[in-house]
Amino acid sequence: MSGSEGLVSRLPNDIGGLTAGSIARVEHELEPWEKRCHALADVLDFKKLINTEEKRRGVEALGSDMIGQLAYYERWIVAFANIFFAKGILTPTELAEKMAEVEARHIAGR
Amino acid sequence: MAHEHEHDHDHPHAEISVSEMPGYYEVMETAIRELLIDKQLITGNDIRHQIEVLDSRTPALGAKVVARAWVDAAFRERLLADGRAACEELGISFYDDTRLIVLENTETVHNLIVCTLCSCYPRPVLGLPPDWYKLKPYRARAVSEPRIVLAEFGTIIPDDVEVRVSDSTAAVRYLVLPRRPEATDDYSEEQLAALVTRDAMIGVIPVTLGMEN
Amino acid sequence: MPNHLPTQSRIPGIVPALNEWPSFSPGDRVRVATRSPIGHYRVPVYLRGMTGTVVSIIEPVMVDNETEGYGQNAGSRRHYYRVSFRLRTIWAAYSGAPADELRIEIFETWLERI
Repeated sequence: MSGSEGLVSRLPNDIGGLTAGSIARVEHELEPWEKRCHALADVLDFKKLINTEEKRRGVEALGSDMIGQLAYYERWIVAFANIFFAKGILTPTELAEKMAEVEARHIAGR
Repeated sequence: MAHEHEHDHDHPHAEISVSEMPGYYEVMETAIRELLIDKQLITGNDIRHQIEVLDSRTPALGAKVVARAWVDAAFRERLLADGRAACEELGISFYDDTRLIVLENTETVHNLIVCTLCSCYPRPVLGLPPDWYKLKPYRARAVSEPRIVLAEFGTIIPDDVEVRVSDSTAAVRYLVLPRRPEATDDYSEEQLAALVTRDAMIGVIPVTLGMEN
Repeated sequence: MPNHLPTQSRIPGIVPALNEWPSFSPGDRVRVATRSPIGHYRVPVYLRGMTGTVVSIIEPVMVDNETEGYGQNAGSRRHYYRVSFRLRTIWAAYSGAPADELRIEIFETWLERI
């Protein structure tokens, strides 16, 4: 028994019944990019480009560290990138280049 | 087991301005969206329209459903038999493939809803869920100590009332039909709807007078 | 897994699609399988091996959400069931009322009749 089996056989999001602290009554108005991300998820599911269950699996596959440190919609968008790469719809290079272009656009626009 | 981040953004809203550099994940979202549009897999209008759909879904819709169920017994029966069909009767369309089961609170049963595995929530009829619903403390404890969780919300359920927790894991979504408060016999449907809060339809608090939205 | 004869009446000669008729009926006592899949699953660990009661059959047949997570959008449709479990049987130290329950949707391939 290596002790690591639990990490493999129990998904990081499978937390029903675990010990946890008190419920802080936090909520926030979605930032525009978060709402666009949510809309994107709905559109991708409707078109079955990435269905909702694939999104869930993609978030689980990020692993405990990323899940613990990325916020809710941050996990979604990284999961989408990974799924698009696996499906051959996007490549890491093209996404990286487009992200650099988006950043450059903002710097230029200041 | 990883712990959940307790907040979803790094800077307070007051500091955001048009000239602010977008964060790493916003850049990623923009890039992915633009690439998908370039490849004609989605259109900008698809996204814009879905944002309008999302903005149009708020707890006021659920409150309408609840108020109608309180005043119209036949509607209530149809709602309990098929939640989605009854919502569609009121013009509340479902933009996804989910079903809706409406859970009626009674003298003997108090319902609450949770999604331990992720954040399943009846979005077409309630809008987007609050952060606390999606974070670890609620998701972990609602299924194992619901009465203690309810007490944290100020809700005490007597021992002779069954607490029934519904954990969403598949295509069914839930909406709690709270009990109608006493002394509301002369309320109009609109006045009744104004009493019904999002948290009452999640099942963590009852509907009471003096909590008009 | 056993494919129990459904109880609804049928017209002789009609052949249903594979797994079209539900295997379980409301009131059936069922046990959640104890298998431990890796990858994507939708039956929480806290339920594995637990015994509950079928409350209702979710209609219509739908895709297995565990394979749907890998991109399967059609085929292999079976029923999900709303199943109830007493909380005191799930949690050894449950401190609430004996009648308190959990209800959850479970795909047919996770359940066995007891």
